[in-house]
Amino acid sequence: MRSFVNPLFAVILAGVLAACSSTPTEQDTSATDTSGMDSQTGTTQPVQRPESTRPDTSSVPLTADNFHNHPSNYDGTTDTRVIYFAFDSNTVPAAAFESLRAHATYLKNNANAKLRLEGHADERGTREYNVALSERRAQAVQKFLRVQGVSSSQLEVVSYGEEKPAAFGHSEMDWAKNRRVELNYVAGRP
Amino acid sequence: MKRLILALVLATLTVAARAELLIKVTEGRVDAVPIAIVPFDGDNEAPEQVSSIVEADLHRSGQFKPLPAKNMLSRPHTKDAIIYRDFRVLGQEYLVIGHTKPRDDGRYEVTYGLYDVGRQRELFSESYSPTKAQLRDVAHAISDRIYEELTGIPGAFSTKILYVTHNRGAKLPYQLQYADADGHRVKTILSSAEPIMSPSWSPDGSKIAYVSFENNGKPNIYVHDLASGQRSVVSRERGINGAPSWSPDGQRLVITLSKDGNPELYMVNVNGGGLTRLTDNYGIDTEARWMPDGEHVVFTSSRSGGPQIYMLNINDRSARRVSFEGNYNARPDVTPDGRYLVYVHRRNGSFNVGVQDLQRGTFDIVTQTNMDESPSVAPNGSMVIYGTQRRGTGVLEAVSIDGRVKVELPSKEGEVREPAWSPFL
Repeated sequence: MRSFVNPLFAVILAGVLAACSSTPTEQDTSATDTSGMDSQTGTTQPVQRPESTRPDTSSVPLTADNFHNHPSNYDGTTDTRVIYFAFDSNTVPAAAFESLRAHATYLKNNANAKLRLEGHADERGTREYNVALSERRAQAVQKFLRVQGVSSSQLEVVSYGEEKPAAFGHSEMDWAKNRRVELNYVAGRP
Repeated sequence: MKRLILALVLATLTVAARAELLIKVTEGRVDAVPIAIVPFDGDNEAPEQVSSIVEADLHRSGQFKPLPAKNMLSRPHTKDAIIYRDFRVLGQEYLVIGHTKPRDDGRYEVTYGLYDVGRQRELFSESYSPTKAQLRDVAHAISDRIYEELTGIPGAFSTKILYVTHNRGAKLPYQLQYADADGHRVKTILSSAEPIMSPSWSPDGSKIAYVSFENNGKPNIYVHDLASGQRSVVSRERGINGAPSWSPDGQRLVITLSKDGNPELYMVNVNGGGLTRLTDNYGIDTEARWMPDGEHVVFTSSRSGGPQIYMLNINDRSARRVSFEGNYNARPDVTPDGRYLVYVHRRNGSFNVGVQDLQRGTFDIVTQTNMDESPSVAPNGSMVIYGTQRRGTGVLEAVSIDGRVKVELPSKEGEVREPAWSPFL
């Protein structure tokens, strides 16, 4: 019986989460992530972060393919300052949702805070086209934060294309590290 | 001891060459024309060896095969001293002789002649009186004249290459520079802590436009007068300000702006006024190049999914797709006659320079490297210079439009990228 109820519950919970956030174009499969619901209820914050509900990341090997959506890249707080993206994609990865919600909460609670979203691409492809692609990544993060209720006046988008790589090598892993949006507070840094 | 001397010589050479681009012809034409350029009388005493520069220019075109001086049976400096047989037996078709002599007024006299070995006659001869600083200019002018006489196409040896360098770790890592087409006489136009992108020449070669992120990390488009060093901001809208390209009349630029949320092409006067939107669709529109007719703009658009090349009619704003091979074609440039488009084509994960013949409808990949970008056509339409990677760093290479000649221009330090070949100056 238990084995029947659990998946059903998971499906319902996933549906609730999807209905709540309305941003994700990707399915939020981390159904155990309950902190997402906390941020939906407004200013109520858990006194202590429920660490136990965070997925155990040690067992998932980090590869160039899963780098953007790997839990080890996102700590669920405003300490997360880089959101990674899959190749040729501007979809915000589900693993970054909790961290972005933390930024949204912070921005809503601190009207003086201003966040610059800096879009980057890997080196493949032409330079100005990459500037355009990386702007779409920064805009996707901007949209996510706007849906969470962040004022547009607190957000700014700049795109650098492949001009400011974080990793200087030419491997798949270097490219994974360079497909990113950096969250740079220009005022009211948390 | 010999080793030590060799090491010292090598060290000296390395220091001298460091800042400049060194050029290597990796692939020449099998039917390259044999030509003997006899070292000019007085060249060894002059500050620049004119005949060596001419030899290097013609060699670099891939269309000529200069005879090494050590193989010459005689080395005439005057018309009367020529023994044609000495060059005929070595299979030479043409002969260049001349001299570089200092004059009393501090200038030099450079006199040379071009001779047809088979017909045993002079094709032409001429004389220049350059200052010391003009010796290289004269050498390139001689190369241009010989090239045009023998191929029927104007030479592009007196032109410049504009490019961006990146020296990671330097205080001002991004530099905008230009150099002679042979890599010599490097001049730095701008040094910056923030990226510099998309340099583009005005049609008369007096000004350049580029994107610089120096203003608080945001992209602005600048127009920069090379002689005076004065510059002005043409565009600093919210979002992307990118990809400037000059109109053939030099009055306007087509640029990319995303101020309305999506990258679109706009036309703007060189002074920054008269902003007019040219495209309007959900896809990315960028990397525009003005066609020589002044009525069309070729550009990259993702309106059909991935990036493809489109042609926009500026008057009625209609656009039609022109690239159909593969799923990634971007950053076009065009030959001066408007016949060929060169752009970046992706095939099996590799990015190469492709040439599309708009007249015959053919498309050919002309490079074998795999990270090629920013192709730029020489003003005589003969060669395409582009950025690529060798040994993990950005370098410049050039290829002929027909793919038969390849030239490497490796830099000694840092990355070199986004070359833009000047117009005739």
